[in-house]
Parts: sequence; structure tokens; C-alpha cells
Amino acid sequence: MTTGHRGGPKARGLFRRMADHRLDYLYILPALGVMLLVIAYPIYYTVYLSFYKTPPSLAMSDKIWNGIDNYVTILTSKSFQEVTINTMVWTVWSTFFAMLLGLGAALVLNREFIGRGILRGLLLIPYVISAVAASYIWRWIYHSDFGVLGAILYQLGMIEGKLNLLDNVDLVLPSLIVVNVWKEFPFAMIMILAGLQTVPDQLLNAARVDGAGAFDRFRHVTLPHLKGVLVITVLLLFVANLNHFTIPWIMTGGGPAGASDIWITQIYQIAFGRIRFGIASAYSVILFGVMVVIGYFYVKALTGDDDRRHG
Amino acid sequence: MSTRSRITRWHVMGWFFLVTLLFFAVAPMIWMLITSFKSQFAALKYPPEFYPRNPNFEQYQRLLSPSNDVGRQFLRYMLNSIWVSTAATVFGVAVAVPAAYAFARFRFPGRKALFFSVLFRNMFPAVVFLMPLFIMMRWMGLVNTYSSLIITYLTFGLPLSIWLLKGFYDNIPVELEQAARIDGCTRFQAFYMIVMPLSAPGIIATAIYSFITAWNEYVYALTFLNDDQKLTLPVGLQRFFTEYATNWPGLMAASFIMSVPVVVMFLILQKYFVRALTEGAVKA
Repeated sequence: MTTGHRGGPKARGLFRRMADHRLDYLYILPALGVMLLVIAYPIYYTVYLSFYKTPPSLAMSDKIWNGIDNYVTILTSKSFQEVTINTMVWTVWSTFFAMLLGLGAALVLNREFIGRGILRGLLLIPYVISAVAASYIWRWIYHSDFGVLGAILYQLGMIEGKLNLLDNVDLVLPSLIVVNVWKEFPFAMIMILAGLQTVPDQLLNAARVDGAGAFDRFRHVTLPHLKGVLVITVLLLFVANLNHFTIPWIMTGGGPAGASDIWITQIYQIAFGRIRFGIASAYSVILFGVMVVIGYFYVKALTGDDDRRHG
Repeated sequence: MSTRSRITRWHVMGWFFLVTLLFFAVAPMIWMLITSFKSQFAALKYPPEFYPRNPNFEQYQRLLSPSNDVGRQFLRYMLNSIWVSTAATVFGVAVAVPAAYAFARFRFPGRKALFFSVLFRNMFPAVVFLMPLFIMMRWMGLVNTYSSLIITYLTFGLPLSIWLLKGFYDNIPVELEQAARIDGCTRFQAFYMIVMPLSAPGIIATAIYSFITAWNEYVYALTFLNDDQKLTLPVGLQRFFTEYATNWPGLMAASFIMSVPVVVMFLILQKYFVRALTEGAVKA
């Protein structure tokens, strides 16, 4: 791409160039229209509502200007700190383990062997099935009275009595993270697998000839080529986890005693459980701020790629 | 010699890792299947039967036959899901195709800004949109209608669909269109008659991706619908769970039935699906 777009040539004004390209805009008009309606307006409205106290009837004409009180209420509430820590634990560990398993699987699957396609397909299934179904499957596995996991661990002599995961304040979040990792490591796997295919074979062979061991080849040849993909995958997973609602909501609803409550479940609870849209909106705006920061890095990682491609 | 033995060690470790991972990935689904063939009574045995002694299809028969309440309800949910997902996919692709083409080919002012605003949407949590959309849907009288979900899904699928399709269009040589233009096609004809057929795999990949996303979507369906007749499968499953809390085999059978379409679709079109996921992020 040429530099023409960044500053724009001074001689021909922006409007002139837009007019020249007016037919191009026809192609994106439908997409733009729907997105303005369902994306831009809601963002504006959320920010707007976050400064109001909303009535439980949701008759928005009765809302009262509240200044920044909603934000103060959230940031000073006792639960905020706990929920934030839960959110960070949930997001960071889910991302970390999904990347770890995904990277391992991708490295093994990056060789030609019989049945590779089938293996890859099987490993991907958790990613395509519904999170609701996944949550119920794992709830059944974790079941404190009839769960298969408890039964196996008991028979192996690793626990005494019943295994209580989802009602245990300390174990509930790790248990949910396991489910989440189960669900999303395949995504990391195929992203990395696709990235591995861009590593030139000649380079790997050259390194081999020079006597580099498997680990050295990975460290010095594969990893530098993989960096871009790894960064983007981590960012995508991080955002997905920060926004993940279904697994905690279905499996525990944030319980017991808020031990698995994260920002998203908290916002949903405030909005649709307690019908306090104002506070929930303010909460969303805070989350939104975090997203914008991550989004900045995401776009940067992607555009870096784009610029390199187009020279 | 030493190199060879080192490779072998990595191989063995790799295989060990892969087998463990495979077990981790597949075992829960196998357990879902095994449970779904048990009777309610057998499922609540402790220690559990790893191989059901009297496997039966009772749960599946009940869920899939319209002659009883549970089955009628379940089939209703399934039809709702099919309708909502199909409509969202068809409209979504129809809107995404021209947009993606424009982003891939034309150099109009604001192209980059628009494109990244498209991508940026991926960053926003669904819940942020939930409240304003809920108010908007209420205002438009769309709460409790399929349209509310179709509009939402099609929009939220758009950024990714456009991104995926753009990757496919980038790979189609411009020369083909130029040749068509020389032969007298208009720009739109070149797009419609040359590029569209060539990008069929991309469109298929994008469509599967949208369909699977819509089929599995939960939080909007949970919020926008509360009429029992209109629920989609994920919310319907939850409704089942609250109503028949101890019927785990039934719940597992329902989960299985719900997973079948997406898993089958995915396995058949795995190549496209994988391409859909990785396209763009890796290289276009």
C-alpha cells in the first residue's frame, strides 16, 4: 500500500476523494448500517446510562442523573476487589494453560503421520460444541455425589469421601478453569499449527545440519517465526476469557459465596438479576476501558502484519 | 547417533503428551455418551457403571418423538435453533460478501479506519451490548421474537465474517477481474461472475463459522427470549435442567443431540473451518 491514505494528498481534498470512490461505499453500506445500529449506538448508550440511576421498571424516561456515583459505588464496594482478583485468576490461568496445551499439541501435530487429520479433528471437538452442553457435561463429571471424577479419584485412593469441587470456595475457580481450558485449547492449537506451517523447512534443515538439537531449533528457528501468531492468539484468548460468561454462569452462577464470580457474571447479575442497568452500565464501561487497552495492542499486532504484507 | 536418540526422546514425550491430551479432550464426551444410554436409576449408582449394563435409547426416543411433552418441547427448541441460525447465517453472509470484497479490493478513504473498527468489535464483551440492545429491542417491540436474535447474531458475526472473507479475496488474483473488465464486464459483473464463484470455499467456511456460532450462542438468547415456545437449544437445555434436575441421562442425551449437527458439519468441512479460524490472524 502506498502512503496516499495516511496523510492524504493536500491538493485533492478528502471529500473529493470520497466522492471519487462513492461507488465503493455502496459495498460496505449494508454492513455499516447494521453495525451502526447494533454496535455503535449500544456503546454510546452504555456510556450514557452509566451516569444515571435507572428505575427497576426500565422505563428510561424516569431515570435520574447520578453523576459518577455509579462508578464510586462499584469501585468502593467490598466485592469489587474480590471479583477483580477472580477475573484476573480466571483470565490469566485459562489463557496460560490453553496456550501451553495448544502449543504442545501443535508441535506434535506438525509432523506428518498416519491419522493426523483424525487426531486433529478429535482434539477440536470441544471447541465446536456448545458451551452450555460443555458446562452440563462437566457439572455431571464433577457431581459431588455421582460424579465420575470423584469416583475414580476415590478408587485410586487419592481422596477420602466425596469430591466436592463446585461447592468448595477454594477449588471452584480452578475447576472452572479446567473446563474453560478444555473448551478453548483447540483454538490455540490450530492457530499455532497454522503459524508453524509458515516456518520454512529449509531453515529447520539448515539448523539441523549445523547440529542444532530439537530444543535449539525450536528456540532459535521456530519461535521467532511463531511470535506474531502467539501474540495474536494470546490476545484473542485473553479477550475471550475476560468476556466469558457461559461456563461460570451455568456451572456455578458465581457461587459459592461469590468465589467464582467474575466481572461478566457480576454485570449480568446486577443488570438482569437486580435490574440496575445504571450500575451495570458503569461496570461495563470499566470493563470496556480494559478492552480498549488490549484492543490497541491487538490492532497493533495485526497492522504490523498487514504493513509487512503489503510492503 | 546422539542426535537420533535425542529425537527419539522428544518423539516419545510428544506421543505421551498427545495421548494424555486426547484423553482429556475426548473422555468427557465419551462419558456424556455413556451416561445418555443409561436409565435414570443406573446413572445415580455409586460407584458409577463405566459400561452401562442395560444400555438403552429411552432418552433419545423420548427427546425425539413428538408424542410426549418433553419431545415436543425439545423438537420445538431444535426447530427454533435451526431457523435462527440459518437466517442469521444467510443474511450475515449476504451482507459480509460485498463489504469484504470492498475492503480487499478498493482503496477508498477511510478504508483502514473502517476496517479496524470492524475488527475492534471483537474486543467488546457481549454483556456490554446486552443492556442497550435489550432496551432497544423492547422499544422496537422485538423482545421475544426470533428477529431480535437474528439481527444480533448477524451483526456480531459480521466483523469476523468480513475479516475471513477479505482473506479469501486477497488471495484471488486481481488479473482475473481485469481480464473480465477488458472483455466488457462492468465492475459489479466481474465481482458477481468471476470472483463470487472463486470465493465459494471462503463463503462456505464463513457460513459454517457463523452457523456454529449462532447455534451455540447463549447469553443473548437467554436475555431476549422468555417465551417457552421460542427458546433456542442452549437456553432450552437450561430450562430442561431446572425442570428435570435429576435426569442426567436425559440431559446428556439432549447435549449430545445438540452437539451432533455442529460436530458433523465441522468434521466434514474441517479443512474450511480451520482455514476460517486461522485466516487473517496468521497470514492472508
